[in-house]
Amino acid sequence: MKKSKTFIACFIVPCLIVLAITYFYPVARTLCMSFFKTGSVTAPVSTWTFAGLANFKRIAASPDFRRGLWNMLRIWIFGGVFAIGFSLLFAVILSHKSIRGKHFFRAIIYLPNVISAVAIGNAWLYYVYNYDFGMLNGVLKVFGIEPLKWLGPDLKFGAMIAAAIFGVVGYYMMVFIGGVERIPEDVMEAATLDGANAWQKLTRITLPLLKGTTKTVFTFWTIVAMQFFVWSKVFSPIGTESSTIVPIGYMYEILFGSLQSPEIDIGTGAAVGVLVAAIIMVITSLINRLFKTDDLEL
Amino acid sequence: MKKIHKADTLNGPSPLAYVPLLLWTAFMVAILVYIVGASLSVPRDVFTGQVFKYSTGLHWENYVTAWTTQKLYVYFFNSLIYAVVACTGGLLISAPAAYVLSRCKFRGNHLIKRILILVMSIPSILIILPIYGILVKLDIRGRVALCLVYVCLRVPYTTVFLLNFFESISKTYEEAAAIDGCTDMQTFLKIALPMVRPAMTTITLFNFLSVLNEYFVALLLTASDGATSLGVGLTSVVSALMYTSNYPAIFAAVVIVVLPSILIYCLASRKIMYGGMGGGIKG
Repeated sequence: MKKSKTFIACFIVPCLIVLAITYFYPVARTLCMSFFKTGSVTAPVSTWTFAGLANFKRIAASPDFRRGLWNMLRIWIFGGVFAIGFSLLFAVILSHKSIRGKHFFRAIIYLPNVISAVAIGNAWLYYVYNYDFGMLNGVLKVFGIEPLKWLGPDLKFGAMIAAAIFGVVGYYMMVFIGGVERIPEDVMEAATLDGANAWQKLTRITLPLLKGTTKTVFTFWTIVAMQFFVWSKVFSPIGTESSTIVPIGYMYEILFGSLQSPEIDIGTGAAVGVLVAAIIMVITSLINRLFKTDDLEL
Repeated sequence: MKKIHKADTLNGPSPLAYVPLLLWTAFMVAILVYIVGASLSVPRDVFTGQVFKYSTGLHWENYVTAWTTQKLYVYFFNSLIYAVVACTGGLLISAPAAYVLSRCKFRGNHLIKRILILVMSIPSILIILPIYGILVKLDIRGRVALCLVYVCLRVPYTTVFLLNFFESISKTYEEAAAIDGCTDMQTFLKIALPMVRPAMTTITLFNFLSVLNEYFVALLLTASDGATSLGVGLTSVVSALMYTSNYPAIFAAVVIVVLPSILIYCLASRKIMYGGMGGGIKG
C-alpha cells in the first residue's frame, strides 16, 4: 500500500515532536546539568559554570543519599525475592487448568495495581499497622502476643517493603501467567503420558521454561525498585527519615523539601537522576548477561 | 486430547493450592471492609475497636468532611481532567503514528519503533527537571501544564500498544478500500480505526487509571496552586485530618480516592489486567 508522503508526515510528526520535547531534550539536558553548577531550573546554559564531578561528589558525601542508596539496595533485594516469589507462586497456581475461581483470584490479586498507591499506603499506615486498633496487632492479641510498634524505627522499613510488595505482586503474576501459558500444550501432555507428577512437571518443565519471563520480571522490578518513591513518601509524609529515605526522595527533598541548602542547585538534583539511571542500566544489562536465554526461550 | 484434560480435572490442583489464594483474598477483603466500615464510624469507636457497632448511627458526615471541608473534590476533579485529557490527547497523537508505523514503509520507520520502546524504560527522574524548566520558561502553569505533560508521557506506551495491534490485523480491507477509491484519510478513519476499537478501549482504560493514580510527576509539577492531583491532595488531606485524629474521615477520603478505580476495574477487569501487559512483553 502506497501512501502519500504528506499523509505519512502528518501522522508521524506529532509523535516525533512529543518524543523530542519529552525525552530527547530532557535527557540530554539532565545529563549536561549534572556536570554544571546551574542555578535555577530556567537559568540559560550560558550562565552555567562547569563543575566537573562536584555534584556527584556532593551527593556521594551526603549521609542522607548514602542511606538512601543502602535502602534502595535492600528494597531491590528483599522486595525482589518476595515479589518474584509470591507472583511466581500465584502464577503457577492460577494457570492450573482446573483451578476454581481462576479469574476472580487473578482479578483480586491484581487489584492493588489499579488503585492509587497513596490510598493503599494510607490504608496500611492507618489501619493495618496502627498500634492501638490495627489489624496486625489485633491478630497478635488473639494469640496473646504483646502489640508491636510496626511504624517504630525498627520495623518501619520492613513494614514499608511489605506494603509495596503487596501492591506489585499482581502485575508480575500476570506477566508470569503469560509465560506459563506460552508453554506448548504438547510438552505437558508428553510429560503426563510419561508419568511425570505435578511436582516434576513444575520443576523440570515449567520453571526452566520460565527463564525468559523471569528475566523480564526481574528487569521490571529493578526499574521499579531503583525509582522507589511513593511508598517512602507515604510512610514518612513530613520529611525524611533515615529508615525510609531513597535516592529519589533525597532528590525531591534537596530541590523542593526539607534538605534545601544554598550550595545545592538543580545540577545536584540532576546528578541524582543520572546516577540512578546509570545504576538501572548497569544492573539491567547484568541481568541480561546472567539470564542468557538460549534455545529455551519461548 | 479430551482424555488428558479429563484426567487433569480429576486430579485437580491440590486443595493446598487454595490456601495462599484464600489468605491473600481474605486479607484484601478485610482491609476494604474495615476501611469502608470505619469511614462511617466515629473516632472513639475506631479507637476502642468497636467500629461495626455504630452506637450513634452511620456517620455520613465523614464523607462531607473529606469531600467538602478538606477540598478533596477539587483534587478529584483535577485528576479527572488530567485523566480524560491524557487519554484523548494520547490517542490523537498515538493512533495515527501507530497506523503509519505499521502500514507504511519509509526511512526511519524501524528506528522510530526502537526508540519508542527504548524511551518507555527511561526513568522519569531523568526527564522531569528539564520538563519543569520548559514549563516555567513558557509560563505554562497549573492544570494546563500537567495536562500537556501527561499527554506526552502516555504517547510511547499507547503508540507501541496500538502498533502491536495494527500489525496483528489484516490489511486486506484497507487495500480493498483504497482500490475502491478511498483516500488515505478515509481508509484510516473508516476502515482501520474501527478495527482496532477494542485495543483503543483497553489502552484508554489503562491510561485513564495510570494518570488518575499518578503521583511523582504531579508532586513535582504542581507547586501549591489549584492544580493539585488526587494522590498529592490525599496526602495533605490525611495530614490535616491527623491533627484531630479524625480517623473515620481519613478512611472516608481513602474510600473516595479508590472508589472510581475499583468501579472501573469491576466493569472491565479483564481488559485492564491484560492492557498492562502490552508494552513489556508480547503476548
